[in-house]
Amino acid sequence: MDISTGSYLSAKNITKYFGKSLVLDDVSMDIKSGDVVSIIGPSGAGKSTFLRCMNLLETPTSGEIEIGDFRITIGLGNSEPSTKELAILRRNVGMVFQSFNLFPHLTVLENVSLGQRKVLGRSKEEARAKSLQILERVGLSEKVDVYPGRCSGGQQQRVAIARSLAMDPKVMLFDEPTSALDPEVGAEILAVMRELANDGMTMMVVTHEMSFAREVGDAVYVMVDGRIVEHGEPHKIMSEPTHERTQKFLSAVLGR
Amino acid sequence: MQFFTTWLEYFREVSGGLGSAVQLAIISLTLGYPLALFLAILLDHKNRYLRWLTIIFVELGRGIPLLVLLYIFYQGLPQIDVVPSALTAAVIAFTWSTAGYATEIIRASINSVPPGQIEGANSIGLSPRDRFRFVVLPQAARIALPPLMGLAIVMFQLTSLAYVIAISEVMQAAYFLGTKTFDYLPVFVAAAAVYAVITIPAAILVASLEKRISRFAT
Amino acid sequence: MFLIILQGLAWTIAITIVSFSFGAVLGIFIVAGRLSRFALIRAISRIAIELIRNVPPLVWLFIVYFGVAELGPKLSPFAAAIVTFSVIASVYLGEIYRGGYASLPKGQLEAAKSIGLNRANIALRIVIPQVFRTVSPSMVTYAIGLMKDSALASTIGVVEMTFRANQITQTTGQGLTAFTIVGLIYLLISLPLGAWARHVDQRVRERYVVI
Repeated sequence: MDISTGSYLSAKNITKYFGKSLVLDDVSMDIKSGDVVSIIGPSGAGKSTFLRCMNLLETPTSGEIEIGDFRITIGLGNSEPSTKELAILRRNVGMVFQSFNLFPHLTVLENVSLGQRKVLGRSKEEARAKSLQILERVGLSEKVDVYPGRCSGGQQQRVAIARSLAMDPKVMLFDEPTSALDPEVGAEILAVMRELANDGMTMMVVTHEMSFAREVGDAVYVMVDGRIVEHGEPHKIMSEPTHERTQKFLSAVLGR
Repeated sequence: MQFFTTWLEYFREVSGGLGSAVQLAIISLTLGYPLALFLAILLDHKNRYLRWLTIIFVELGRGIPLLVLLYIFYQGLPQIDVVPSALTAAVIAFTWSTAGYATEIIRASINSVPPGQIEGANSIGLSPRDRFRFVVLPQAARIALPPLMGLAIVMFQLTSLAYVIAISEVMQAAYFLGTKTFDYLPVFVAAAAVYAVITIPAAILVASLEKRISRFAT
Repeated sequence: MFLIILQGLAWTIAITIVSFSFGAVLGIFIVAGRLSRFALIRAISRIAIELIRNVPPLVWLFIVYFGVAELGPKLSPFAAAIVTFSVIASVYLGEIYRGGYASLPKGQLEAAKSIGLNRANIALRIVIPQVFRTVSPSMVTYAIGLMKDSALASTIGVVEMTFRANQITQTTGQGLTAFTIVGLIYLLISLPLGAWARHVDQRVRERYVVI
């Protein structure tokens, strides 16, 4: 079973407790297909946790996640998500990590092909062809048979993006993709992400890069203490934040 | 000079037992290591009883001195009318002990695969089985290799214990020679030399392997 | 039968504790030699360590017990066992100390020097307490291993647990019972100690987070 096209991503009432602390407080978000959404806010606000709930790397304590016509409900009275449900969700939601998480014992090509072959069932040649195509798209054709250990940080992150793209995801999640990179290198990655956005990919990005949030996003969500305190169009939020906490955060970050 | 030539004679004779020692070591490792991998995987099984059985088996193998295990199988079993040969008893005891220690090593190696790898594998939707087979196991194997090789060297040294259940390896040869010549000190020093001649180069090999492996990881 | 085995236990513990104690002290000299400023001492230490480690304990035991008898004094089995295990323990504990010392942040020594502490004080008040905390779990783990190795002493006639079990087997034929009891006693001692060592390790990591 696959998720139909023209899909959107909807998170309803996502709540998460870590032990006794409330990390996500009834967070809801609606994304239309092709949207690029940035999530910004101070550290510890729960942004990453929320993002990771979207592909169930973290399991919310309660809430609902909908992608197209695929829905998962979590919480009291519902059983744990089955392996099958997890598989379907993760097949359609890709993720790019701050620390890349590439497989060091596989070459760049193998990294990008592994998921295609084992999860999507593509043949070796199919996977290879597709991997080469995507790696060219992100500018890494010469690094195809190299091990990640011999690639720079920026190159590794591009491999990570390629690995995710190779699965033909409906939605791509980015968890602070540039935080572990030098600013120059980060700009490269943001450029790749910009292109993806222009090509119509639905993206949810947790980031500290305000320029990206302002220029590329269709919407910006501000999260503080596990709650969304404001959201709207980037220009409006960044220039005229209404919520006091947003103002405080933005002034600290943008030095205004 | 005379002393030295005599000593070389001793060395030659004592090293006659080397074949058996190496044989015992190889058999025990060949049986013990795969068993350990199996047990390490079982430790994460859903079934609680299976997990506990595995834990007990591993802890017994590790917590009981190898010498005592040898005696249990060789001298103990006859009490219930089971009389294994010396070699059988030795193989069982050594394999159990090997598996006990190796399981810990393998389990620790699996756990030291960075959690980000699990997440990376999950994020592309790999099934738990594929995740273990293609992402975790290859990396764990590289981590486990040096300690497992170190364990192999230790197990080889421990074959000296098989002497107590009448297996004719190095110590047995040395003891016989000693009682024959009453020249105990040089004879046992020769035995020591036989072991050292094998384990010291082996240890150096393992150390250099360790260096090469660590260069490979990201 | 149980009583006989328990008597053996007393000897097992005696061998373990005495050898460990000597080894713990001698280990300091070993690690000092290993880290000495003089290349010759370092080399000698290194060779000695490698020799001692690469020869099986049983062989050393025989060398000490049978071999030394030729040279002069005849050691009692217990004494031979103590000498052997103390030396072996000193080598392994020395390596443990070395590892602990290596993981001491360099900044500690620099800070201590910069506030003018002399070398003795630095060693006593800064280095040793911290290294000790780091290595205590490994030392406990080694002690457990040493207790298991003490079973070897039965081969040269020390009347510890394994020896007694052997005796019982010869006299009554109840080898399985005897050795199973002995095995379980080793376990009953080593398991809680092992768990305690892991617990202490956790606590040390939590409390003394290196800045």
